[in-house]
Amino acid sequence: MKRISTLLGLGVAAIVLQGALATVVSPPWCPDLALLVLVGIGLRWRGLARGLLLAALLGYSRDLLSGSLLGEHALLYLFTFTGTVVATRQLNLRGSWPLAGFAAGLTVFYGFGMLALTGFFVGGVDFRLNWLGAELVHAGVTGICAPAVSAVVGWASDWADDDPGRRSLGLDAIRRPA
Amino acid sequence: MPDLLKRIGAPLTFGVLALLAVITMVSDRRSLAEGGRDLPWWQAVMLEIAVPIQDIVAAPVDGVRGLYHDYVSLLEVREQNDRLQVRIAELEEANLQYREALVASGHLQQIAAMRDEFEIPMLPSEVVGLDVKPWFRSVLVDRGAGHGVRAGNPVITAEGVVGLVTATSRHAAKTMLLLDRQSAIDGIVQRSRARGIVRGRGTDQLEFEFVVRGGDVVVGDVVITSGLGGVYPKGLRIGEVVEISDPAGGLLQTADLRPAVDFGRLEQVFLMMRRGPTMDLLYGDDGPIESASATSGRPSS
Repeated sequence: MKRISTLLGLGVAAIVLQGALATVVSPPWCPDLALLVLVGIGLRWRGLARGLLLAALLGYSRDLLSGSLLGEHALLYLFTFTGTVVATRQLNLRGSWPLAGFAAGLTVFYGFGMLALTGFFVGGVDFRLNWLGAELVHAGVTGICAPAVSAVVGWASDWADDDPGRRSLGLDAIRRPA
Repeated sequence: MPDLLKRIGAPLTFGVLALLAVITMVSDRRSLAEGGRDLPWWQAVMLEIAVPIQDIVAAPVDGVRGLYHDYVSLLEVREQNDRLQVRIAELEEANLQYREALVASGHLQQIAAMRDEFEIPMLPSEVVGLDVKPWFRSVLVDRGAGHGVRAGNPVITAEGVVGLVTATSRHAAKTMLLLDRQSAIDGIVQRSRARGIVRGRGTDQLEFEFVVRGGDVVVGDVVITSGLGGVYPKGLRIGEVVEISDPAGGLLQTADLRPAVDFGRLEQVFLMMRRGPTMDLLYGDDGPIESASATSGRPSS
């Protein structure tokens, strides 16, 4: 419970912080910190069902501060979280570069998901190339920030874990002794 | 049975949560189509948490920006002051002549009555949060239901229309910008009085759709609110025509508008504390919303 509430608090803090940052930094250049926190959680989560609940709560929190329809971010958060959990089982995302690439790809996917949902529920979506440009910049900036945010999530997750046996030992399976 | 539950637990949770999200989306879409809503307390909590934190985060940058702006303004203020003194004298003289003419024609009483009707109290407010996703165009402002703000109140700056309050908590209000794809308002061309609908595109420009027959619109025309939608008062600046698309043989033609308001530099806005008649019809007759802290008249800066 402590872990869930800590990560929920971290996720909400990221949503609030990025909203404030966006008033200072132009939105495409502002990293999607909230999405990165969700990816960070997905990388470490065990037990999909409770993780999905956490993802939905974070998504709804984001919907409340965003101009989206209530439930739009929540739905995409469910897909993003599930995608991250599945990808973690199939891919090695421990290094900075793979994680940055994965987060950037996920940001683009998220953008198109948002576009599709808005088009379906609101209508009037005409896709333009400059949107893609803005989304790619946004994805790049988000990808660059991914390792740092993931490290913060990892630290918070370890700190709040009630079961010391599950805490990360900091072992890197890739690095082998010479 | 426990094995089965364990196996289908995650897909079941996913399905239920996804269905819930779709239901809330449909319900929220309906609520937005009706002009917005005052948030229930459990939804308002998020806005209440966000506003003070976003205020604190943005404060140092706003401070530096304000200092720079003040310094630059100060350099020009003397010259501007001299120019404005002359202008005031000219306008006072012209105003006097108009008043004389109105008294002579007996219309002054009628105009005084109209002024009471149209002068709307305004509440200055700071923009404290923005969407990071380019798909939505909304901002969070630091005045809410506690200050008398209600969903459906128009939001403006001295330059023109900003948007509409769509949701409020006690100390914050979510505002849908004109640029949002869900935004559409009735506008007229100031010069030719051609009418049309101004729609948000989700980009930095607006779309003005007007009837070709008799619709005299040229590049450089200023489009203002017509007041016909019953949401915004008449005469607020919306934007300027920058491009007109080739007519495709249809009755309707579209023009690109550059918004009068620079949404990239939106810092302070004014919340109009009286809703239009359409909004009052939607929300029931709770009367005009007045606030003690509201300033009367249009913003002067």
